[in-house]
Amino acid sequence: MAKAKELFKEFKIQSVSEFFRRNAAMLGYTGKIRSLTTVVHEAVTNSLDACEEAGILPYVRVEIEELGREHYKIIVEDNGPGIPEKFITHVFGKMLAGTKAHRNIQSRGQQGIGISGAVMFAQITSGKATRVITSTGGDEIIEAWVKIDVEKNEGKIVKKIKHKNTTGWRGTRIELEVKNVKYVRSKQGVFWYLKLTAIANPHAHIELIEPDGKLIVFPRSSEEIPKPPVEMKPHPKGVMTDDVYRMAKKTRKNTVKRFLISEFSRISDKKIDELIKYIAAIRLINSEEDKKIKDELFERLAKGEVDLILRRYGRRAKKVIKEVQNLMEKPPEKLSWHEAEEIVEAFKYMKFLAPPTHGLRPIGEENIVKGLTGILKPEFVTAVTRPPKVYRGGIPFQVEVGLAYGGELESSFNLLRYANRVPLLFDAGACVTTMAARSVDWKRYKVEDLDRAPLTLLINVISVHVPYTSTGKQSIANEDEIYEEIRLAIMEAARRLQTYLSGKHRRLYQVKRKKTLQKYVPEIARALSILTGEPEEKIKEYFISLIEKKFESVEEALEQSVEVEADAEA
Amino acid sequence: MLKREKPKERFGYDPQKVLRKLEELGKEILEEVKQGKNPYFDIPTRGLNNVYFDEVKRVIRMGDKLSRRYFLNVAHARKFMQTLLIAAYVKRLVSEGKHASLREAYYANKHTIPGTKENTFEDQSESDPVIEDLERMLGVLREEMHLTADRRGYVYGDITIRDGEDEFNTSKLGMGGWAVPGTVEHIQFVDINVDYALVVETAAMADRLIEEKFPKRERALIIATQGQASRGVRRLIHRLHYEEGLPIIVFTDGDPYGWYIYSTIKQGSINLAYLSEKLATPEAKFVGMTMDDIKKYGLENVTEKLKGIPPNKKGGPTGDYKRIIEEMNYPWFKNKEWQRQLKLALEWGVRIEQQALANKSLEFVAKKYLPEKIANEELLP
Repeated sequence: MAKAKELFKEFKIQSVSEFFRRNAAMLGYTGKIRSLTTVVHEAVTNSLDACEEAGILPYVRVEIEELGREHYKIIVEDNGPGIPEKFITHVFGKMLAGTKAHRNIQSRGQQGIGISGAVMFAQITSGKATRVITSTGGDEIIEAWVKIDVEKNEGKIVKKIKHKNTTGWRGTRIELEVKNVKYVRSKQGVFWYLKLTAIANPHAHIELIEPDGKLIVFPRSSEEIPKPPVEMKPHPKGVMTDDVYRMAKKTRKNTVKRFLISEFSRISDKKIDELIKYIAAIRLINSEEDKKIKDELFERLAKGEVDLILRRYGRRAKKVIKEVQNLMEKPPEKLSWHEAEEIVEAFKYMKFLAPPTHGLRPIGEENIVKGLTGILKPEFVTAVTRPPKVYRGGIPFQVEVGLAYGGELESSFNLLRYANRVPLLFDAGACVTTMAARSVDWKRYKVEDLDRAPLTLLINVISVHVPYTSTGKQSIANEDEIYEEIRLAIMEAARRLQTYLSGKHRRLYQVKRKKTLQKYVPEIARALSILTGEPEEKIKEYFISLIEKKFESVEEALEQSVEVEADAEA
Repeated sequence: MLKREKPKERFGYDPQKVLRKLEELGKEILEEVKQGKNPYFDIPTRGLNNVYFDEVKRVIRMGDKLSRRYFLNVAHARKFMQTLLIAAYVKRLVSEGKHASLREAYYANKHTIPGTKENTFEDQSESDPVIEDLERMLGVLREEMHLTADRRGYVYGDITIRDGEDEFNTSKLGMGGWAVPGTVEHIQFVDINVDYALVVETAAMADRLIEEKFPKRERALIIATQGQASRGVRRLIHRLHYEEGLPIIVFTDGDPYGWYIYSTIKQGSINLAYLSEKLATPEAKFVGMTMDDIKKYGLENVTEKLKGIPPNKKGGPTGDYKRIIEEMNYPWFKNKEWQRQLKLALEWGVRIEQQALANKSLEFVAKKYLPEKIANEELLP
């Protein structure tokens, strides 16, 4: 047997950087393409959030410069509110110290690791400090090079220059030098990510300069700045023992009862009285020896028969209730793990009002339509924002769907997935959105072959707690309620598409297409006659009959579909 | 000593081949339509993602990605029509033995489509790409289709060329030599009395060499590219090497632009990757300017500073520095000699022009620098 001494010879306390390097996948730094996208994502997210909070229409410019093999400089500049000098190290240098870390709020960012993670990634791949140029619009522009002191988990400014701000510029520009990454124009790359971001954020003007110097602009199509999300208290049905235990240690309230009322939604004085009864009932039921009786009583408790159960125990019940009442009066920091467990278990049996949803911030139907139209230029577009719902009994969420068809879309199905407006680029297969989209019987909506249809579907799942399948946060877990909501939203949008496809718009469009093709026939016939020696008139006939044949079959399909509809209604 | 080698290619221009290909194209389309099928063209995709470096032939080549252009697709129909218009136009040009410039081809085919307000071509930027598409589709040079490019570059030396009805020796046309036309497909080499061709980046340097009687003394043919070599010049170099066995030596400024000119002559370019087999000359060698020349010939005080920010400074590398680093990553510059030269340029932060050799004396380049280096074969691969 190995001795402990030997076993622990290699044992070292892990620094934040070491942890980060080993767990980079958790933060999205896996693969050369994805790592680059993650860096851009963190910077762009920061820019958009900052602009929204300050009420500024965002203008974000991303520049990717290739410095060498798998070696790039990433520049992201915005017109946001800027960062005051003393906060620079905090924003870019400290891990797990963001502003959103412990609040119950819908957010784009990850838990405060975001941009400091990117700074760290730059530092451990290229050894370079991140250059930050920022001004709040005052007299000076600050140019600072930021590094992270990995031992202390602190930002450090290695060099700083102050410039006069003669033009009144306001905003933030950051430059990160990264290695071991690759710029590729794939569906996992920066281009696609920014395109999706632009669609979901039509109020933002986004520009990209690719390494070969090509400038791509995703122009703004809406002037409306979304309201920043507001904080929501957690709902009793949506918490776990650890949440209650942890919150109790941090609260400023002096009793468990006050703590529960003030820091959870939908808990009132009256609910506390009910909670006391439920906890007492649970304690009493747990004291039963016979498993059958136990199960039966729990079943009755689930039906709400708490008073009947307490009556069954008579004076013993009174005593237990008293104990639980005392528990409610003790200081919350003294709450034990077991007691927190009891509270959460009682929550499971109790009924609460549905959680408030004012903290959810959907993109909105109008803006989805604007985003899809502005970037994709489709022939038909529609959007559905469903009312908020809850999953797992108490976590509010909301689903939105946008559907674009025809026009400049390619003939293939595209699913644009978002969680809280953030594009999801990876693990599409495991995502509930993919499953829901595939589960819909598209043929019913006149989309004969989904994979070859010029159809783009946008799905945005909004929640204070999106149930991701893994720490990579790239796919959403298959929760029944979410799956069902997505399906309902898709079907509603698809019904509108169906109406359009079988309607007169479609007919007009077909006529237009036919005319477009016909007008080229004389030119084509003359050219082909020169090339082949066949008479022009003959060639014309061939082409005209080809066009006729094509549109005949389309017409037939349209006629048939109208008949089917009539049957269905009859 | 450099001497002519055995030819590797034969004079290949055959107008009948071009006409046959065009007719085949037309017949295929017509056949599809007759059978009630949706006719289409398959066009090799352009751009960086369809380009690769062929390690065996040592040229930049086009991949096999195709894009299909259908008639019955509303988004493709216009281009489909334009492609056929240009194809028919080329057929007339070639069968009549006439040449047209790209601009002429545009105007000749531009007209309003009857019954509409639409033109067949709105802009030359519509016709030029269609011509490129045809080149790639048919595997036929634009020049072979009698569509000519800009003329740039000239030739001087003891070679006799037949161009249509004219026959002339390019050292008997005055000091300016013979201007290389946009297309060199049809010209024939009647007589060649030189041992190698020296490709020179700047006209000033080519003029200097001619004045110093370098071509006569060294039995060399001077080809002035006047900056980046035009398609005509690159095709001429290719033909002189493969059809006539002339060794090719390239003489440019010692800077990233000069080295890029060399790279294009040698391996072809991304833009014209589909033509590399006809335009590139991988056996070409480089005589100068090199960084070693600076030390060897004591030219330290006639160098110029590289432009841009060096890689180790903040914001860098940019400008010349950035391009040098890019060139260091070209597969064909991945050899000891080139890496050393490029590294030296980065280290010293300097560039050197051909004309800097005039610092020694006007005759220096023609009487000492080039003859010595070429005789001792101090050439870069």
